[in-house]
Amino acid sequence: MFGAAELLKKEGPDLLRAFIRGRRGAVGADLRLEVMFSRSSSATDGEARSAHEGESAGFSVSVRVDEPSGASGTGQTGVEVGRLALRPARLFAAIRAGLAEAYERARLSAREKAALVRALNKYSGPARSLASVPPGPRAAVHDEVAAVYQRDPRTLGPGELQRLCRDTSARVAALGPEIAFNAVAALSEVREELFIGSDGTLISQGFAFSQGDCYIVAQNGDGHQEIYDTIGQQRGLECLSEGWRGELMPNPDLLTFALELAGEARELAAAPALKPPDAEVTVVTDPHFNALISHEIIGHPSEADRALKMEAAYAGRSWFLRSLEDNEVGRQVGSPLMSACSDPSLDGYGHYLYDHEGTRARRVTHVDKGVFHGFLNSRDTAAVLGVEPNGSARASEVFYVPLIRMSNTFLMPGESDPQQIIADVDHGYYVCGSAVPSIAESRENFRISARRIYEIDHGRVGRLYRAGSVIADSKDFFMQVDAVGNDLRLIAIPNCGKGQPMQVKRMSNGGPTMRSRARLGGG
Amino acid sequence: MRAAQELKNFVREARAMLARERDLAEFEIYCASAEHRVARLAYTSDIPSRGVEELKSHVADGFTLRVVMRRDAREIGVATEAGDLSLEALRAALTRARSAALVDPHFPGLPGTARLPGLPKVANRTPSKPGPAAADAAVGGLMRAGDAPLVEAAWRIVGGALEAFTRLPTAAHDHRPGLVLGGDVSLMRDRMALASSNFDGLRTEAGAHFTCTVTALVESLGAKGTASALGATLGGMRAAAARAGRDAVLRALALGGGQRPPGGTYRVVFGPQPVAEILNYMVVPSLSTGAFHAASTAYHGRFGAQVMDERLSLLDDPAAARGAIHRGLTCEGLPARRTIMIRDGRLVGLLSNFYDSHRLATDEHRAEKLGPLGAEQTGFPPHSGYRLGESAVRRFDANPGSAATNLTMRARGGKSERDLIRAVGEGIYVGRVWYTYPINGQRAGDFTCTVSGDSYLIRKGVLAAPLAPNALRINANIEQVFAHPLGVGNRTQPALVWGAPEAYYTIALAAGEIPFTAIEASQSAME
Repeated sequence: MFGAAELLKKEGPDLLRAFIRGRRGAVGADLRLEVMFSRSSSATDGEARSAHEGESAGFSVSVRVDEPSGASGTGQTGVEVGRLALRPARLFAAIRAGLAEAYERARLSAREKAALVRALNKYSGPARSLASVPPGPRAAVHDEVAAVYQRDPRTLGPGELQRLCRDTSARVAALGPEIAFNAVAALSEVREELFIGSDGTLISQGFAFSQGDCYIVAQNGDGHQEIYDTIGQQRGLECLSEGWRGELMPNPDLLTFALELAGEARELAAAPALKPPDAEVTVVTDPHFNALISHEIIGHPSEADRALKMEAAYAGRSWFLRSLEDNEVGRQVGSPLMSACSDPSLDGYGHYLYDHEGTRARRVTHVDKGVFHGFLNSRDTAAVLGVEPNGSARASEVFYVPLIRMSNTFLMPGESDPQQIIADVDHGYYVCGSAVPSIAESRENFRISARRIYEIDHGRVGRLYRAGSVIADSKDFFMQVDAVGNDLRLIAIPNCGKGQPMQVKRMSNGGPTMRSRARLGGG
Repeated sequence: MRAAQELKNFVREARAMLARERDLAEFEIYCASAEHRVARLAYTSDIPSRGVEELKSHVADGFTLRVVMRRDAREIGVATEAGDLSLEALRAALTRARSAALVDPHFPGLPGTARLPGLPKVANRTPSKPGPAAADAAVGGLMRAGDAPLVEAAWRIVGGALEAFTRLPTAAHDHRPGLVLGGDVSLMRDRMALASSNFDGLRTEAGAHFTCTVTALVESLGAKGTASALGATLGGMRAAAARAGRDAVLRALALGGGQRPPGGTYRVVFGPQPVAEILNYMVVPSLSTGAFHAASTAYHGRFGAQVMDERLSLLDDPAAARGAIHRGLTCEGLPARRTIMIRDGRLVGLLSNFYDSHRLATDEHRAEKLGPLGAEQTGFPPHSGYRLGESAVRRFDANPGSAATNLTMRARGGKSERDLIRAVGEGIYVGRVWYTYPINGQRAGDFTCTVSGDSYLIRKGVLAAPLAPNALRINANIEQVFAHPLGVGNRTQPALVWGAPEAYYTIALAAGEIPFTAIEASQSAME
């Protein structure tokens, strides 16, 4: 199927140009094709549960139309073509049909918009904002980016992943009767993404993903603990079978990872549930916990579609932007010790060089020394904000429309020794490992549960508690950050959901050890 | 989407070919074609917007092949193919399924197998009575609708909302009212065909339903209102579009200038949407055989026990007359049947698919996981085995899991919402919650969420003043909501939960002693 991408590189640009030329009002069209090979397997309680290998292919087309009335519209069609990608005539026929459908949708929407604007013109105001804003500029580039891996997922033995999962799960189960249930899953896949724009853009990007997931339920008397975590890299299976020693996002091999997680679950099942203090306390949060802070409280509200209210009905708005005139850009949203950014060029689970609108990806500074700077954007939202597109529009699968997504989004490191950050606390809590987030509508408040919470007494880490969480108003929490460690780590996030229909996307989040103040929640 | 006949022809030919393979003890070919069309609402009065985002669709069709090897009845191979319903594709899938075959010691055989004791015999025919979607399709309804009705519906919602907003003399008509409209009109439809060595005939079914959600914000007033609808007919979609925009705006305007009470413990009336949300994220995930086997249910060891107030019952009915989803068959080819999970507060049933029914039945720790009252339970019928995608339509390459269809919570001895509010006296009416999650894991039953709109302060037994959206966070446990409610509602209403595959029909209920924490006002995007 990977040959379909080669074929479209040659003939796709002409197909798009011919389509645009022949359609009244059509001003632009994009075509994305993705071909993927994947292997996956899972085991529960030491026994094989599933195994799968497959090749898939799909495409998406998007057409923009400017009607004579002045109204513009866009339409999209996404299709999973599978093996039809092996037959050039069928593939091209499907793409042409998709373009025609997307074009008609764009015209239909533009006409309906024009009719509504006419009807509303008797009132002053409400139709004013329906004025069309052309998307931000895109340089027409040609580029090819290869996937990085030592072990090609296509050449793995059919039983290799099965054995890895089954053996890992069996070792976890053998830890003892406290392990009530465990599930281990692994996948390794390679993708080729092709982007063709009617403006001449032609980009091919290869990606390899390998990921291991582990879910454990431990119980001990009346205590119980569920833990779920993931390791993953944009690499081949070597990162699971042997571990990965990258500087920003290292991981142990899958077996070591699962055994450590199981040990933690057993320890927690025997630990008391946290009885939270009534008042705000000093909290030292570790890099894994801060991955979820950076994800939920910095990353999501830095997405321009959310900030511009386009996600209001689903995942909410952004505490960084109340309106175009009243927002946090240039204002202090955190302590001067605190900075955060998204950098897709880094070697993390959210790495890429071009987004799904064909825009070259850039590093975006969200917070610099506590001052909010900027949003992740798409071509459309960049135009509304009056800034350059920064290449952040990406779809989880080729047949979905691109949404604005995080890449490698993290709190940046400071200069403090993490051990000293703890040692300087007279009384407080050391919050380790992120579990479950719950976020207020504009992300202005959060409750995020931790895997482990230790009491800190006179600078020493003491008793372990389970079922603890951090509750805070976002700005208060960031403004009270008084120490930032030098131990930045990124964590693979496999399942960030956004959009309608829901798109589940992979990325990295992380941060260093930090110290602030917050309330704690218990169980 | 592929025609139903095309799917049938393929699985029929596939069955004939697979029956000739001598190394296969059992086989199953599941073929599905599905489509999700979405028109998203995206209007902002003060920021340039499209009004309606690009109309988009996702079409997926293909098949999953499952084979059981003759050399070992527990050896199963699985392969999927997208897009190509040909015998050539089937041969390629068969090669891969053989290659990927693994021995699962707990594999019970494919659905319909004679090897699984304790389960009802599978009917060898497909249901003949058409559901609402099928009846609607017969007159050119949702199943055949093109883009035009969807686009028209979306723009009608925007138009209705803007007209309602513009006509009302209100303080919101300043030069920057901050009117925001979001949501979508979605049309989901699917067809499936299944053939198996264990079934005589082919199993086929088609379905279609729509959802419509509208959120209206008037930021200058700090107000938020919502409207939603779901159903199985084109007429229902048009009717919903005609009123949803207007309703959401009027509700938002009625909630302007909301108050921000301090944190503390309050008596609460939960409206149908919060009840649906808490059920979806906290209760339903605990009501499957898979959750009991994994020891991750909030009702661990409590099967057969009283887990809710005796007035409450919770059931799933894939044939509910007014349900948005109508299914006569599961994606395993078995009859989709009503499952009563909670009857009069007692846990009496679980959602299940074929594999998980067997796995729990043979679980060596079953007695502990089900508990003393559940130990004698002989079987959990696999009436809920679906292979669904992100859009809650049947997906050709998804694994069978347990899911509900039309989930209904109802109550005996219920009261009107007005009476529930009166019973609370002093407290909060929670009409909408947000981001409800099992903060300490599913088994703990602890949850947290924020109160995001459609909510009021209750004083002296009446709705006294609107509550500002995003002013309060709830930190509670499901026991505090469902175990000893102050009162239960008597009217079941539809409710949508973002991303959920089920349609919810729930009552309101009143609860005491629900803990809240306050959210700082200055940080809300509403301020």
